[in-house]
Amino acid sequence: MNEVLQQVFDVVTSELFERCRENAPNFGVTVERFQASLEKTTRKYLIDASAEPATEADLRAFIEMIQADDLFLALACADGNERAWWEFDHGNRSYMERVARHLAKTEADAEEVVDWVYGELYGTRVVDGERVSKFATYSGRGSMRGWLRTVIWHSLVDMHRASHDEVSLDEMTENVGEGAAQASFATAPAGGEDIMIEGITRDRYRKATVTSLANAFASLEAHERLLLMYYHVDNLKLREISRLVENEGSPLRGWFQRRSQSREKDPNAKIHESTVMRWLEKSYARVLQLFRDELKGPHGLSDAEIEICMGLATQDLAGGDIYRNLTGNA
Amino acid sequence: MGSTENINIGDARFQGLLERFLRIRSAGDTAFDADRHLDEDTFAAFVEGNLTMREASPIVSHLAECGFCRHKTAELVRLDLAFAELELPASTSQTAPVRTSNVIEGILSRLFGTGDAAVMAHEEKPADERSSEDEKTERE
Repeated sequence: MNEVLQQVFDVVTSELFERCRENAPNFGVTVERFQASLEKTTRKYLIDASAEPATEADLRAFIEMIQADDLFLALACADGNERAWWEFDHGNRSYMERVARHLAKTEADAEEVVDWVYGELYGTRVVDGERVSKFATYSGRGSMRGWLRTVIWHSLVDMHRASHDEVSLDEMTENVGEGAAQASFATAPAGGEDIMIEGITRDRYRKATVTSLANAFASLEAHERLLLMYYHVDNLKLREISRLVENEGSPLRGWFQRRSQSREKDPNAKIHESTVMRWLEKSYARVLQLFRDELKGPHGLSDAEIEICMGLATQDLAGGDIYRNLTGNA
Repeated sequence: MGSTENINIGDARFQGLLERFLRIRSAGDTAFDADRHLDEDTFAAFVEGNLTMREASPIVSHLAECGFCRHKTAELVRLDLAFAELELPASTSQTAPVRTSNVIEGILSRLFGTGDAAVMAHEEKPADERSSEDEKTERE
């Protein structure tokens, strides 16, 4: 952080601290403690996030999005302030219990995970004579409750793993949700795309179809790829995607709105499912055009041959297993 | 198709082909080291849309390639939506409980089994100092 940014940082965070202290005068958090936490977060997630130097506007926008009161509470709890702990417990325990019950298979599991998370939050480990509180990992970039949901979810996955050394993907999905299954999925053999291509040496059209699709998809921007993956692979519904971009500051929302002239007039308008659908349609249109360009350009196929490619792919889909058909049926 | 909603893309064949391709592709997009996965703090901030564009750019790029992290965010979005209507406003009460240390004692009692152990684990000051502090808390 250069000198100018440091000065802005000091002023903005001092104001923020005063506001937080006014709201919670008994938490015992010092301005030095508060600023040190924010500075660490700013360096990690703003300054180091890009090779481009951060501007004053970047810094102000970043600090403005910090959930300052939640961070203030977390710092006080990490330091063992009793008043803060009471506030935290009073304001969040029942919520945590509801989240745990929603996620866990049994009431006992729900109780166990809440107790476990409370222990982690208080800090049952001591390093160099100091308790290590889980609160120390909360930066204030999201809400306290959003962070707690994530912590509970992760803790349940860890608990499930610890008690099931060998468990099938289906079983884990059934027991603690799809997310836990995906956690195991991380060790699945890589290179599905390569395997897909390997078997297609005898069929020019099928190979052209798959490689063109891969190149077309890779040519999309990251937010377009992410949207398509959420929709098709993770099965997020339009309503769920619109929830993800509900916040006016959502990065996905920002990128898609930059492409849309009509929405620039009212960037703060609520994002409805129909809007997400339009984004998806535009992403489809882009990838389809790129796909056709690939088939025509590098593969030198005519319109009629492209129709053959699509026809073959449709037949494969009708057979229920395009992977097997594309790779081994040629 | 996994998704239940129909998107009008003009060519349903292509939609089916793309979906199948993406599902197969996702089997190979998890080859990230564990230390390159997003942390809990970032997951929570992303799901709430609480990131600046500068901050979010590398995160979105990561999510587009890392099925492990993307799937987690998808699960957290569902969870977020499920609880959106259930969330209660956090307490703004300024009234302190009779003994605030009871909260922490209770937590540790459940974790370690006995109240005595919990008090010992929590106490960092002599008993007489602690007593006067509690009285002060009560007065507040």
